[in-house]
Amino acid sequence: MFTVIRSKEAVLQALASTVNRDPTASDYRFQDDPYLTPKTSSEFKLFSLSQESGRNAAKYFISTYPKYFQKDYAQPHIPCLMPETLEAQIEEVSEAALIERIQMRKVKAAVDLYDQLQQAGTPVSLDVTNQLLDLICFYGDCDPAQENVPEQRNEETEDVQDEPQTKKGRASKASDKLKAAWKENNNAERIFALLSEPNTHSYSALIRGMVKYGAYSKAFSTYTDLLNNQLKADVSTFNALITAAPEVKEKYNEKWELIVDLLKQMAEQKVKPNLLTLNAVLKALRRCGTVGKSQAFPVISEMRALSIDPSLASYNHLLSIFYKPGAPFQGQTDILQEVMNEVSGKSFTPQDPDDAQFFITAVRICLDTKDIEQAYRVHELLGVGENWRLLGNDFQQNIYHARFFSLLCMMENIDVVLKWYRDLVPSVYYPSSNVMRDLLQALDTDNRLDLIPQIWKDLKQLGHGNRQTLVEELLTLMAREKQNQEVQETFAECALDIKKMYDTGDRGKVMMSWTAGSLSDLVSVLLAAQRRQDAWEILKLFKTHNRVPSEELLDKFLTCIKESGDVNQALELVQISAGFCLPGTPKLIQRVQQEFLLSEQQKSMLSDLEIQTFNSD
Amino acid sequence: MATSLVRQTKLLSIVTSQLSSAACFRNIHCTAACLKNRAARIRVAKGDKPVTYEQAYHPHHIGHRKGWLSQHTSNLQGEDGAAERVVEDVFIRRFMYGTFHGCLADEIVIKRRGNLLVICAVMIQKLLPSKFYFLIGYTEELLSHFYKCPVKIEMQTVEEKVVYKYL
Repeated sequence: MFTVIRSKEAVLQALASTVNRDPTASDYRFQDDPYLTPKTSSEFKLFSLSQESGRNAAKYFISTYPKYFQKDYAQPHIPCLMPETLEAQIEEVSEAALIERIQMRKVKAAVDLYDQLQQAGTPVSLDVTNQLLDLICFYGDCDPAQENVPEQRNEETEDVQDEPQTKKGRASKASDKLKAAWKENNNAERIFALLSEPNTHSYSALIRGMVKYGAYSKAFSTYTDLLNNQLKADVSTFNALITAAPEVKEKYNEKWELIVDLLKQMAEQKVKPNLLTLNAVLKALRRCGTVGKSQAFPVISEMRALSIDPSLASYNHLLSIFYKPGAPFQGQTDILQEVMNEVSGKSFTPQDPDDAQFFITAVRICLDTKDIEQAYRVHELLGVGENWRLLGNDFQQNIYHARFFSLLCMMENIDVVLKWYRDLVPSVYYPSSNVMRDLLQALDTDNRLDLIPQIWKDLKQLGHGNRQTLVEELLTLMAREKQNQEVQETFAECALDIKKMYDTGDRGKVMMSWTAGSLSDLVSVLLAAQRRQDAWEILKLFKTHNRVPSEELLDKFLTCIKESGDVNQALELVQISAGFCLPGTPKLIQRVQQEFLLSEQQKSMLSDLEIQTFNSD
Repeated sequence: MATSLVRQTKLLSIVTSQLSSAACFRNIHCTAACLKNRAARIRVAKGDKPVTYEQAYHPHHIGHRKGWLSQHTSNLQGEDGAAERVVEDVFIRRFMYGTFHGCLADEIVIKRRGNLLVICAVMIQKLLPSKFYFLIGYTEELLSHFYKCPVKIEMQTVEEKVVYKYL
């Protein structure tokens, strides 16, 4: 009998593979209800954060009153649903207690206990001391931020030590005087000094901690100590040192020579490099300018020979070496293509924290080089296997989609753009106002201005309805050319809707102010749709908002009035023009006198006006 | 004195033996009366009391015009745990009533699928969505830890309570 052994989730996975993403649904975190679906990116963030804070509130209660949550219904036992013990259980001063505190990541408590043990004279084994050193060096001698307590920002403004502050550990409570920088003579160094026979692990912990928290030259001096004690370093120590190499030397050649030196020593000490070594070398080469460009590929091929396959982080560093942001590109466009040839169709697992930068870098390069083909390949790669996990957090996803969509708006015709727009927005991506402006430009290029009212609806929903530049651009686009009748009608509706956005601002919303240009555009749109009454109302707004209408506008208005034949309105128009002391007023008066049938009274009024304007010139 | 007591107990035993004979079955009632013809029924009154669909139909309409508010498999042949499910349901209903105070538009529907507990609720749009999400996260986390099984909330909102008729 040939029965295939399948995993327990096989059926579910098979079903899941038949369903694609639903472009009409919002993110899985949210409830499927129109009131509860986020419509702007700020709402997205607000809702997911409030859900998270609700969870934290529940966790607080569970950990404060654990006795109500002890009853175990689950078979088999589910450990993550039991209350966490946040306080250390073992109270007496012993090595077991130290191990417990190390596992609970309580840095200060562990250090205090270690000191107590030393004072009591109990010997602590080297393994446990190494674990303690690991703990201290990883967290930089501060306690990691507790999850239930809201993080307070570090208010300390002590002057930074000589090393610049690079990577930040989660430096937590403001009450501590410790910062996210390696302090002189901190606990790690102190405990290390107390060790009689530090081994490779101890040195490794210390060096990696120093590199993580910015004490680069110290790291190198500790390494020399290690060599002087005839010890060998392990692969993570070398990785840390390679990362630190560009910081301690100035010139590109020297940096590279130092790295090569370290690699040679690695070979001498028979330490096998791993993927993180490759990534560290490539990352360091980013800081090495032209040397980086020449050495990158040889490094990769050597590592390949040692059967270390590059991960997405390696490709990310490679692309960053060759495509510096802001630099002109000459003859390098094929590198992206080669990289994409390498990675297409493969599913990657997270192996390095920098893996998440790959997609953003790749799409930035596509945007800068205006390469839509490669952009499609990058996007396709996202759909392969588990690669979607490597897109990063919400912020990075936003950047990725913004760049991708801007590139599409620039390069593709409007139908393709709209297809992607409907696919991505707003289920995956909430565009910013800049990207929406790119979309408007794309509409303009392809002469699809009739879609503007729909885009305006989307803009309002996305919360960009009160951005002045965007709205003014909309009005200008609508007013520029005359469209056919139905489109003009929709434009007029849209324009009146826009006017509402200017009028009443809700509490807290940014108020927009009318400019002469926007008011004129509004009037032109309404006139083109034969809405004279509405346009007349808007014309009065010029006075209230202290803006001056242009002569062409009043001319156009007069033509419109002439079609309807309303003499009084024509006269009022002339009076308005005189009120603004426009230089075109005499011409207007002449037009009215010629084109309209005037009564005696009106004629005399006009001639008075004419004299008035003539005198004021 | 002792003889009169003996005589009285003998009388009592004769009486009780007569009582437990086939002729009469009236026994002593020790619990409160559970009136099956008054449970979950809102009686017709003046005509100004708004009533939802769930409240308007009486329990004998369950399965005909109403659905079940609590769905689990412990009432099937050979399955056990029905009483525990009932107690859990009662707790969950009270918990939801208290946590989302004043927001519930109708009774909560509780569905159990395997290990998963799904609480389906219809809410009035009384709170801001961010507050709703806070309470949803809190409820899901707390009830998951309490019952040691994943708990999910599926929520729908309406603008105001949906009135079926006025009784």
